[in-house]
Amino acid sequence: MSDAIIQSAPVWAKPTSRYSDLFNRALILIALGALLIFILLPIFWMLKSSFQSTSEVHAIPPSWWAANPSFEPYVIANKIVPLLKYIWNSIFVSASAAILAGIISCMAAYVLARFRFPGATLILVTILLTQLIPPITRVFPVYFLIQNLGLLDSYSGLILAYTGFAVPYAVLLLRGYFQSSVPAELEEAAMMDGCTYFGAFVRVILPICLPGIAAVTIFTFLLAWNDFLWASLLLSSGDAKTIQVGIGGFAGEGGGGRYPNAFMAACVASTIPALIMFFFVQKWLVGGLTAGAVKS
Amino acid sequence: MASISINEAYKSYGQLEVLHGVSLDIEDGEFVILVGPSGCGKSTLLRMIAGLENITGGEIVLDDLVINKLPPRQRDMAMVFQSYALYPHMTVRKNMAFSLKLAKASNDEIDQKVSMAADILGLEPLLERKPSQLSGGQRQRVAMGRAIVRDPKLFLFDEPLSNLDAKLRVQMRSEIKELHQRLQTTTVYVTHDQVEAMTMADRIVVMNGGHIEQIGTPMNLYNKPDTKFVASFIGSPSMNLIDGHLDDDGRFTSQEGLSWDLKDFAPKSAFGEKICLGIRPENIFVDGEGVALGEAIINVVEPTGSETLLSLRAEKANLHILDRSRREFKKDENVTLTADKHDFHFFQASSGQRLS
Ligand SMILES: Nc1ncnc2c1ncn2[C@@H]1O[C@H](COP(=O)(O)OP(=O)(O)O)[C@@H](O)[C@H]1O
Ligand SMILES: [Mg+2]
Repeated sequence: MSDAIIQSAPVWAKPTSRYSDLFNRALILIALGALLIFILLPIFWMLKSSFQSTSEVHAIPPSWWAANPSFEPYVIANKIVPLLKYIWNSIFVSASAAILAGIISCMAAYVLARFRFPGATLILVTILLTQLIPPITRVFPVYFLIQNLGLLDSYSGLILAYTGFAVPYAVLLLRGYFQSSVPAELEEAAMMDGCTYFGAFVRVILPICLPGIAAVTIFTFLLAWNDFLWASLLLSSGDAKTIQVGIGGFAGEGGGGRYPNAFMAACVASTIPALIMFFFVQKWLVGGLTAGAVKS
Repeated sequence: MASISINEAYKSYGQLEVLHGVSLDIEDGEFVILVGPSGCGKSTLLRMIAGLENITGGEIVLDDLVINKLPPRQRDMAMVFQSYALYPHMTVRKNMAFSLKLAKASNDEIDQKVSMAADILGLEPLLERKPSQLSGGQRQRVAMGRAIVRDPKLFLFDEPLSNLDAKLRVQMRSEIKELHQRLQTTTVYVTHDQVEAMTMADRIVVMNGGHIEQIGTPMNLYNKPDTKFVASFIGSPSMNLIDGHLDDDGRFTSQEGLSWDLKDFAPKSAFGEKICLGIRPENIFVDGEGVALGEAIINVVEPTGSETLLSLRAEKANLHILDRSRREFKKDENVTLTADKHDFHFFQASSGQRLS
């Protein structure tokens, strides 16, 4: 990434001067470095504080390193709120919503990308329209809907809500993906080779579209993982709380002030699963699988 | 092995009719090429045979069985697409084995058939590669390999060579022809390139604007084009076509001022008619014998060595000549033109139909 930027620098630098070239490179590196620090500093602060004692966190001048790194803050955090339980809740809800949204949206997107049928345009426009309405206006309708279904305070209610929020966007994204990266001739080739429509979809289209489907699934997972509004609305009582609501509760009860290190520990713990998830699937996000399918 | 009949096939997309009743019989083992300008409906017809497009009207009959409603997978045909449509997530081997796997062939049988096809096409060293690691010509070969492992009733090709460079195209042309001679599988092949059609086909079907202009062997189409369209489409460089009038005495006059005496050999039906007179560039001679075509001035000289293409001006008309005498010509040179009486083609001006 930075390589590409550095290499493109001489386009505006004078190619004749070796020194001005070096100077430009240095400038770019410095700018990139500053940006990196700006992004990473808060994260570093969170990380190191989670291994420090309370006094170290409050120390002035700030102490940039944990002198005696300890897991104590994590233990404290887990005592104040059931951290592991909350994380597990979050993983379960987010993963369920992500998988459900992935399955529904890739099937819907495929049909909308490939088949012409009466009402197809209407469906597309409707999906698009849902994206134009500010999310906050959904609060009451969704709340009452979930209430009427008797799904308040349950995982299912929250999963249903997240899936519903993610699907329209996912369908639009995947439809474009199917249209641009899977030429119709591939399915036709599969059908000539002996596949049914569904067989061609499962054996040829799905494997090729894994990067797109993975992107949509991760997007949904992160949307659900980071959500505070809906989780706090639909899960008002104890045990089913997600980690975001749990951390909110931690801060609300003054825990954030008294145990800043434990609070930071809870925050670190809440990011880890999302990070792991991201690293696990990132290779699918790198596209290019279709390269070579069709000579263009 | 199979024969196929297309009876009065129609195709419409909504209100737009793109095939207007096409009939064609293809015999077992034949290599038939559909040729015509872009947009004339060749691919549509091929895809109707394959089952990838619905048939709006008419019948397609495969070995006495009407297959109009049969899905592609039940037709036992293999198709090579213009874009090759290789499965990008599978190796060459898996691409070729895919159809056999679906047909639940045993592993031994799959291995044996894939290596046989790979052997024929010279693909053995590439079997474990992904399509993205292949050159255009290699991909083309894999697409063909995928078709031949199945030993299908019918091969369908849709402009398989149009993405290759000129040299490779010539090479693949003869390879495909050789493959057909070896396998003897009935083949329907679509191209817009008349040279490809002439060199490869047992029979050529010339299409234009959603209907068939003429069906015949390559030499048949070249020697006796049924219509003005076929006359201009088949042959390269294309036939000189001159609109004019043949009077009752057999004298042909054109608006550009040409005046030729054709009474000894013009067909009866052409006398007293507005006609379009055709004569191929390779059939006009400089300072030769036969029917006199008057004088002309050379405009452009394009030698290729074995032959020289001349653009000339005769009166106000532009004519092309392909000269094979290897004589050297100069621009603005004045020459006398002649032609053999058998090489004139007469078409009715209004309908474009051949008069004979
Ligand atoms: N899906 C479609 N919808 C509407 N018109 C189509 C469609 N496919 C092809 N056509 C039209 O049908 C005609 C024949 O197309 P095609 O068979 O692809 O021509 P060719 O292969 O001879 O170049 C063209 O005029 C094209 O615009
Ligand atoms: Mg075509």
